[in-house]
Amino acid sequence: MDDRSGPSRRPPARPRGRFWERRAPYVLVAPAVLIIVGLRLYPLLLGVNFSFTGDGDRNGEQVGLDNYTALFDDPLFQQALRNVGLLVLLLPVAVAIPGLLATFIYLRVPGHRFYRSVYFFPAVLSPVIVGAIFNLVLAFDGPLNRLLGGVGAGPVDWLGDPDVAIFAVVGVYIWSTFGMALVVFLAGFATLDPALLDAARVDGAALRQVIRHVIVPGLSRTIQFVFVTTMIGMLTSMFGLLYIMTSGGPEGSTYLPELYIWTQQGQLNRPALASAASTVLFLIMLVVGLAQIAILRRSGRED
Amino acid sequence: MKQRALWSAILLAGLVTAGCGSASESDDDPSSSGESDRLVVWDWKSGEENTAAYFEQAKADFAEQHPDVTVEFVAQPFEQYYALLGTAIQAGEGPDVVLFNGGGQLRDRVDALLPLDDYVADDRERLAGWEAFSQDGAVYAAPLTLQGHPIYYNKALYEQAGLDPESPPATWDDFVADCGTVKSATGAACIALGNKEGYGIEFFLSAMGSAVLTPEEYDAWIAGDRDWSSPHVKQIFELWQAAGDTGLNNEGANSTAMFNDSFAIFQAGDAANMIGLMSDIGHWKDFNEFLGEENVGVMVAPQVNPEATPSLPYDGGIGYAVTNWTSDPDLAADLVRSLTSTDALAAFHADAGAIVSDTTIDVSGAGPAVSTIVSELETGKQALHVALSSQTLELIHILSQQLLSGSVTVDDAVAQLAASDQAG
Repeated sequence: MDDRSGPSRRPPARPRGRFWERRAPYVLVAPAVLIIVGLRLYPLLLGVNFSFTGDGDRNGEQVGLDNYTALFDDPLFQQALRNVGLLVLLLPVAVAIPGLLATFIYLRVPGHRFYRSVYFFPAVLSPVIVGAIFNLVLAFDGPLNRLLGGVGAGPVDWLGDPDVAIFAVVGVYIWSTFGMALVVFLAGFATLDPALLDAARVDGAALRQVIRHVIVPGLSRTIQFVFVTTMIGMLTSMFGLLYIMTSGGPEGSTYLPELYIWTQQGQLNRPALASAASTVLFLIMLVVGLAQIAILRRSGRED
Repeated sequence: MKQRALWSAILLAGLVTAGCGSASESDDDPSSSGESDRLVVWDWKSGEENTAAYFEQAKADFAEQHPDVTVEFVAQPFEQYYALLGTAIQAGEGPDVVLFNGGGQLRDRVDALLPLDDYVADDRERLAGWEAFSQDGAVYAAPLTLQGHPIYYNKALYEQAGLDPESPPATWDDFVADCGTVKSATGAACIALGNKEGYGIEFFLSAMGSAVLTPEEYDAWIAGDRDWSSPHVKQIFELWQAAGDTGLNNEGANSTAMFNDSFAIFQAGDAANMIGLMSDIGHWKDFNEFLGEENVGVMVAPQVNPEATPSLPYDGGIGYAVTNWTSDPDLAADLVRSLTSTDALAAFHADAGAIVSDTTIDVSGAGPAVSTIVSELETGKQALHVALSSQTLELIHILSQQLLSGSVTVDDAVAQLAASDQAG
């Protein structure tokens, strides 16, 4: 009796329940999906679509790939892309500096407490202030050149020489941001087993050997994380510093895609060309991002 | 329970889509004005302290004619101004009245502006500098200030070097010779130059152009018929390069910002001459403050080519335009006329130290440098660089730095400029 009455009472409820159970996840993720689609993907597609239209007299007309041809013919944009390549090449330096300094702090060099706070200090300054300070320091008649003159070296036009300026700006950028990476490294060191270090010391390992065989392998995930965040930072947040320090000059040698997009849209009134440049920058970031995800995944598997 | 979850989900989804809708449509954007009892003005001046009296006057003038209309001034940061304006133009909505720099910035955007010829006909005589706000015979903005590039010199340095401060050099050769004398007597550089952004060449081209080109060549250039490979045009760029090579400029010109490091060099007496501005900044008022009114001189461009007639290069500096999407063009044009009324502009001159477009205002109280500038307005001509498109100017900035560092030749530079000028 029970066997039959139970199921016979349930069936009307069951399909309904299943129906909602099956759909509930979709309903629950709907807000997030709609936000992403409506506020991210849709404008992105509009932007890409816009990059196939013309500027000025040809406003609103479909021009095919003309903007992209113009873009890759523009020596300024080529320079901007070359500078992106240069940033990628300089990435190991930008990671090694905080890594090395964090190592010294971890190994308790004299005054390590003092250095820990001093190194972090620039990270709280806005890029505009940092840029203004270094404009003064690196000016042709500024203190750095006077110092060089004092030791007999000729003055360097830090921000006026096209071969030097990009390195000056990147150097200042690294100086002003490495504090964050340093903190991440110090957090990584906190997870390092001190017994390993003691064992290495007991076995008579030199500092170089300790770093190479104990610290670097122990911190591999931290190092990868710092690589990823530094890369993103370099490619997306140098605008303020560049704008203040060189505005893309001298001779266009310090242009980056972001600054190029801003100039084309805001100063030269070529929004469609700027959209094309944005699309190219997006693709670059997509490739870089996917590569980094792949690296992170591989390292995750190793663990 | 499930029912409630469903409803809240539907509600959420509805809210989200509504949010998206308004983000792309922006029907109720507060900065756009649908009704005609309200005008929105965009500029980068109305937030400044020294223009307060000017805006008071202009508002009072407009309120007299239209007491029921509210005018909202939105001061935008200048660095972002044209980017924000570009967005408004793309959307086809936003401010009714907008401030513009004369020349390329306006000409690139005339499609979004209303021709004002019929509205400002009565002001044409009283105000100067209309050319910088005109395109193909139509006027798109009414000038507020005049902007130009007088060559200022430091009379005290000339005097210290034993030169007569009241008779500045008349030819380029004399100019260079005097610079040598000043340099050896006082150690001051000849020209204060800031070319970090590449603006230095714009000033140089316009200030020296009339001393090199013949009047016919000059007028042809302004009319759009520019022969970049002509010997005289090349000569201007050769002078620019030679001034760098022979050490007339201060050191590190390519890393010295025009605004305001190069002005500081001149104000400190570390350079004897400077191509400056007439209005706003880097002009007689700033220089008077540092060097003393009596020490600031203005010279006519030293003659390079005997066939040339040196004159003061100037144009309309900034001016107010009306956007073509405004709902009541008559009302907006009336506001532009109030913003260029004599009383308002007199306040602008007095407080901000600008040479304003209204030629009927008395400027005799502002010192000898201003008197010289104003006396040269009569024979002055449009500045050469203002006639160029903003893309050609962007290129000339980069080329000017390359000319100074020697990484491009004059021939190559003018060839690139000719190509850019043709395309624009």
